[in-house]
Amino acid sequence: MTVKTEERHAQLELCIPYVFGRLNPGNRKQFEAHLTTGCEQCSGDLSGLYGAIALLPLLLRQEAPPPNVRQRLLSRISSKRPDQSRSERPTPQREKIAPPAAQPGHSWYLYATIVLGILLNIALAIWVNQLVATTASRSVQIADLTSELHKKQEVLDFLKAQRIEIVPLAGVDSGSGAYGKLLWDPAKQSALVQTASLPAQSEGKQYQLWALKEKKYFSIGVFDVTGEKENVVRVMTLSGGEKQNIESFEVTLEPKGGCAQPTSRVQLRGVTK
Amino acid sequence: MQHNAFIQKQQYDREDAELLKRIQRADQRALSSLYDRYAPVLYPFGLRMAGSPEAAENLVQDVFVQVWEKADSYRSNHGSVYAWMVALCRVKAMEKIRPTNQKQRGHEVDATSPRGSSETEQKTTAAETIITLKGYTEEVRNSLRSLSKLELRLLELSYYDGQSQSDLARMLRIPLGTIKAKMRRGIQKLRQASAQEAK
Repeated sequence: MTVKTEERHAQLELCIPYVFGRLNPGNRKQFEAHLTTGCEQCSGDLSGLYGAIALLPLLLRQEAPPPNVRQRLLSRISSKRPDQSRSERPTPQREKIAPPAAQPGHSWYLYATIVLGILLNIALAIWVNQLVATTASRSVQIADLTSELHKKQEVLDFLKAQRIEIVPLAGVDSGSGAYGKLLWDPAKQSALVQTASLPAQSEGKQYQLWALKEKKYFSIGVFDVTGEKENVVRVMTLSGGEKQNIESFEVTLEPKGGCAQPTSRVQLRGVTK
Repeated sequence: MQHNAFIQKQQYDREDAELLKRIQRADQRALSSLYDRYAPVLYPFGLRMAGSPEAAENLVQDVFVQVWEKADSYRSNHGSVYAWMVALCRVKAMEKIRPTNQKQRGHEVDATSPRGSSETEQKTTAAETIITLKGYTEEVRNSLRSLSKLELRLLELSYYDGQSQSDLARMLRIPLGTIKAKMRRGIQKLRQASAQEAK
């Protein structure tokens, strides 16, 4: 069974929600069908994940159940199963070792039917496999669209504010062409930041918005500019102080996650007074 | 010392695999041995998920009955035999117990509240039956010290209570992105601790 690398990757994304029981029944069945194809990558990942998550119960205070639980269990297994069928049934090892019994008198079409059945099963497995990959990629797309919708709703909610003040942001380097605006809702202490034509951030970097108050920088938040000249709109909370005390808003490029103080030159600046 | 404890765990894994083979051949003594080793871990796990001693007792019984009846269904992608039993226990708890308890527990949760993380704080036990795993669990606790309180709390709420990431974001009033990142980091640390066993 050959599975494309990107499909395997998509299915690997399902391992964690599968172990946490967060896949819907359809996706769960499809993922389990994928596992039956013998994907070593997913099986290995799943095995490691089960082993990892099984560490959590070891952190609980250990306590033996009451002694009667053991008696009840032994009584249940004794009554539940006569054991004759099981003791006579071959173990998996024996099943493997046992040679396939040659059935005399079977004509060629029986073998042809078996081969056809196997081929059909393989085709079905490939189809299910592709279906699982498609579903996984659609799930990712839906999550992205939902996130995008949430951001847009956030912007619309912000624009419903009764009073909004605007601070224009301009590129500090001459010829950079970067610009932006900061819309400030004094009632909710929140700000909508729009930037355009900032260069795309490099690997491990993020843009960070600052407020300069009494010659001290206060971080407002970080945002991403992944595409060249991308237009970015983000709503951020502007806590800790009135706008009157803010001298300017500034944008710098910092290590991913942001810094306590600016470490690079200012890309955008907007003076409030 | 830590290394010794993990070597001991590897020894347990090998013994468990052997016990499971014997269970497949309907050996009740093998099931008793497995019970003695893991019932003291699965019972508090059942208590945490089910909420009552009676339900936890039934849960432990159900898990071992399934091990008895379905030992053939164990596959290596379930992890170790112990990991497989933990997964069985959780699935059974979710199927049978969670729907009723979910309603009772529909309240807000504080990420720093005593329930959860503090219940995993180190406590000693006097029961002789669980001494076998005690050294190992102490080493697991040590190796999981890198987990922050929030990471551990999120993993517990998600694993024990079946809370989705968006539910957690709403309950704890933490951005969904932060929840996802913290959980991913927490799982990564669990994986690292688990991989340490395999070395």
